[in-house]
Amino acid sequence: MSSWILLPVFLPMAAGICLLASSFRAHLGGSGDATGDRSRLHSFTAAVLVISAVLALGAAWSGEKSVTLFYLMENIPVYFKIDALGRLFVTFVSIVWVAAGVYSFVYMQHEGEEKRFFGFYLVVYGVLVGLVFSGNLVTMYLFYELMTLTSVPLVLHNGSRESIMAALKYLFYSMCGAYLGLFGIFFLYQYCDTITFTAGGSLNMELARGNQGILLIAVFAMLIGFGAKAGMFPLHAWLPAAHPVAPSPASAVLSGVIVKGGVLAIVRVVYYMVGADFLRGTWVQTVWMMLSLLTVFMGSLLAFREPVFKKRLAYSTVSQISYVLFGLSVLTPTGMTGALMHTVFHSFIKSALFLTAGIFIFECGKTRVEELSGIGKRMPKTLWCYTFVSLALIGIPPTSGFVSKWYLAQGALESDTGVFGWLGPVVLLVSALLTAGYLLPVTMKGFFPGSNVKVTEEKEEQDAAKVREPALLMLVPLAVLAALAVLLGVFPNPLADYLRDLAAALM
Amino acid sequence: MAFVQNFPFFSIILSLFSGPLSSILGGKAAKRLNIAVISMIGIMSCAVLSFTISSGESYVYMMGHFPAPWGNEIRVGVLEASMAVFFCVIMLLCMLGGERERLAEIEPEKQNLYYIMVNLLLSSLLALIYTNDLFTAYVFVEINTISACGLIMIKQNGRNIEAATRYMIMSLLGSGLLLLGICFLYDLTGHLLMSNIKEQVQLLNESGDYHIPLLVSLSLMSVGLAIKSALYPFHAWLPDAYGYSTLSSAAILSSLVSKGYIFLLVKIFYRVVGFDIVRDSKVINVLFVFGVAGMIMGSVSAIKENNIRRMIAYSSVAQIGYIYMGFGLGTTAGVIASIYHIVSHAATKSLLFVAASGITEASGDSTDFFDLTGAGYRNKLAGVAFTVGSLSMVGFPMFAGFISKILFAQAAVESLHKVLPTLIALALSTILNAVYFMKTVIRIYTPEKKSVAAQKGHTMIRIMDNPVKSAALVCFILLNLILGLCSEPIVRLFQNGLNMFT
Amino acid sequence: MNLANLLNNYEEAVAMILFGIGFSNLLLQKNLIKKIIGLNIMDTAMYLFLALKGYIEGRRAPIVVDGVQSVEAYINPIPSGLVLTGIVVSVSVSALMLSLTIRLYRRYHTLDLDQITTQLKKEGL
Repeated sequence: MSSWILLPVFLPMAAGICLLASSFRAHLGGSGDATGDRSRLHSFTAAVLVISAVLALGAAWSGEKSVTLFYLMENIPVYFKIDALGRLFVTFVSIVWVAAGVYSFVYMQHEGEEKRFFGFYLVVYGVLVGLVFSGNLVTMYLFYELMTLTSVPLVLHNGSRESIMAALKYLFYSMCGAYLGLFGIFFLYQYCDTITFTAGGSLNMELARGNQGILLIAVFAMLIGFGAKAGMFPLHAWLPAAHPVAPSPASAVLSGVIVKGGVLAIVRVVYYMVGADFLRGTWVQTVWMMLSLLTVFMGSLLAFREPVFKKRLAYSTVSQISYVLFGLSVLTPTGMTGALMHTVFHSFIKSALFLTAGIFIFECGKTRVEELSGIGKRMPKTLWCYTFVSLALIGIPPTSGFVSKWYLAQGALESDTGVFGWLGPVVLLVSALLTAGYLLPVTMKGFFPGSNVKVTEEKEEQDAAKVREPALLMLVPLAVLAALAVLLGVFPNPLADYLRDLAAALM
Repeated sequence: MAFVQNFPFFSIILSLFSGPLSSILGGKAAKRLNIAVISMIGIMSCAVLSFTISSGESYVYMMGHFPAPWGNEIRVGVLEASMAVFFCVIMLLCMLGGERERLAEIEPEKQNLYYIMVNLLLSSLLALIYTNDLFTAYVFVEINTISACGLIMIKQNGRNIEAATRYMIMSLLGSGLLLLGICFLYDLTGHLLMSNIKEQVQLLNESGDYHIPLLVSLSLMSVGLAIKSALYPFHAWLPDAYGYSTLSSAAILSSLVSKGYIFLLVKIFYRVVGFDIVRDSKVINVLFVFGVAGMIMGSVSAIKENNIRRMIAYSSVAQIGYIYMGFGLGTTAGVIASIYHIVSHAATKSLLFVAASGITEASGDSTDFFDLTGAGYRNKLAGVAFTVGSLSMVGFPMFAGFISKILFAQAAVESLHKVLPTLIALALSTILNAVYFMKTVIRIYTPEKKSVAAQKGHTMIRIMDNPVKSAALVCFILLNLILGLCSEPIVRLFQNGLNMFT
Repeated sequence: MNLANLLNNYEEAVAMILFGIGFSNLLLQKNLIKKIIGLNIMDTAMYLFLALKGYIEGRRAPIVVDGVQSVEAYINPIPSGLVLTGIVVSVSVSALMLSLTIRLYRRYHTLDLDQITTQLKKEGL
């Protein structure tokens, strides 16, 4: 009886839906006992979140389990299975989700509509756990679509015109991507022995022989399609549109977790359905590497030129996720190890960065980079956290980014992909420089504002001189994520060993 | 002969005679009679369905005292019975969902006339499903057209009368071609009963005589029925007819009337001509091309449309395109997919119409896209239902539309030359669907600013304000979920039915 | 040979030509009354075609007169039956079309369908 692993999938979904349907809002709007209701809302959300996270982790780390829910069609069950990859994903997803959830208890007070936010927040968590636990292609597709759909309300939270347009853009790109993926699924369904994920792929070589051309097109369509969620080049434009308008905790999980859904889907397709051997040396691999390197470079460059802080971070996500995709595309175990490692690190780092951006907005209403000068005087702890995770993202040893980038470069050099073997690491290096170029000025200006600001904004300067750190509930999650980002770089071995075994099993 | 075997005949006659009976009743009594008749026929069809499933073969029911080559026949199998059950369910829900609109929009003294039309429509649909005689099919096609026209023009304003006229003209062109095709076939084979015609057609096909007239006849019938069911280039009448008629008419027209014709076409393919001959002819390629074109163009027109009712109507054009594309694939799997799509589209489209009316009702009866802002909060159930319908249309997993898309894709992979165009068209049309349906869903869930909301005459509508409609909506949602989650037995039912069909 | 075929079956050819005339009138005419006339031409062509199919040279209508009961004496009765059914259908359809036309004419004082549509668009805006 392992059907209890469904509990972390459906408990938060059910709780979220109950919350959405409940009449909490009626009280929240009123002047009466607003704080009492709010704390009840918070404790409910926190309880559900923690219980389901514990359940999810418990389910993930207590051995291989699988459960078939029901048959959607003949031969197509809705099927859940926990494997090494799922274990990895569910762990960091849960950590980030709980951290950002705690953070939003304070943050969402100024956005309003808290019930809707927390309702969908819970639902999306359930969906994500479902996505990670999915054991076959169709189940994954189901949860992938659900993830898109349920995360839309998080994006359009404030209901303004821009946020609706951004949400539409997000929906449109994701759906286009998902249907390209579906297009591929139709083909794979025909040529694979089973649509259940199998380490190393389940492509039937007998059937595939002679149809390689069309299969490669199908796989390519899936890469582009699922790459849309991960912000890969031709379909990346939704990211910089959706992040700035969403509330900060939502951007944090959007960037830290939901784009990783695209990564997960690509890993599942390439390593668990088609098999790395099938793609090695084909034009799909070449184009894939080209696109990801292009995105790495382009994302950094755009981030470098972007004045709006959250948008800058969004472009940075575009760039960083493509590090991961590049690591996957070289099709070597080391590259894969680096890619998955970077997935985990980036998820902590980028969430932390967005939480910082949220604190700046929440406390001082500042959204542009040049407004942030001198902020370090006011919130030194926050800015220190920011600095640490920035260093981690750039990849300064001994922080985590260094380790993962090391593996990525190693993987590229090991692979026999000709020019990409050295071009990849070079691009990664250049992009790391750019990363430093767009992240560190905030720290520098924050601590050392320089002289010109003092003249123009004297009054604000007086304000800013006082130390006023954000609420503890906002600071602690940020600190935890930052600590993780640094500590995992100091002690990378357990994770690296785990990932090396995982990658070795796939190739 | 089991008593159950009489039921198909009973249900046709029952609905046929309840029509004239309604003319002497008052509006309310006619409504009750209508509901009772539809439910009774639904129950009888269920009995027939379970009988045919247990007996495992179809049976022929002789009408009157003349045996096969001369007399008229009904033929009942699993597919026919399940279609009858399904049509009854959808019709019942449509009638319940549109009850209040009918009261408001139809003149009081003409209320009962509406139910005459609905009863006649049901009887003609049932006859189209069951009959084994081509000329009878033609007659009931005309009855179907006339009653459908009545459903459109019952709302007596200029626009509806014009829409009805255009609908009649296109339909008459279609039935003219159908009749010509049937006469050619009669000329070639000397029979009117489907099974007898098929024997003769097989002989003709083996000997190779009259190959061209046979093709001409097949294409005339296909084109005739395609015109009547609004396949893409012949769809000009559709948006007006669906967009402006009263709610239950729009829902019934879009979900059932065109499906009756399509079912007749399936019958002609399988039972009159034989599917292998149809496949070898080039007719299905033409249907395929028009189907694919319809899938794209229908969605494009829908994107441009700002009136929500007309938008849903245009989306029908696209969905009919899917069905013809399935025929065009030329495989049995394709036809199964099309039949499944007949069912899933009927369930979804009527749901959308009813839900859209709930949404517009909450927005001061405006069908304009921009007035619908925030309507999902004003009428919660309708908002949820519209979302469900949209997701199903877009092909979201768990809902009916996804299953039919998977079935189409699987069928496409089987037919060599049409794989790519089919899959590309599927992907493209899905994305286009997503554009306009998701746009609408987001629009109805965007909160309206309070100052604006007060001016526009928006009203809150609670679930219990119109319990009948709410119940209908809930049933529609459940139906969609059932079709999306438990498709396996239904698909198997259709497969068995199609095997019995020939 | 084809031409000879056509000449031998000139009745059918006439029926088809009539059908074409009726069909194109129904499709292309703007005037509603002319459309209905087209509809009737189309239907009549069908009756002609059906009647031809049932006709056998030198035999009489299938009505028993003077007690002659031999099958050989009469033409095939089924097409005649079909023609009768067809007439019923076509009469009802024509009636419906005419009633629609009357309603439209009363409202818009024109029989031109395109003009009516233009007027409707004006009304709508």
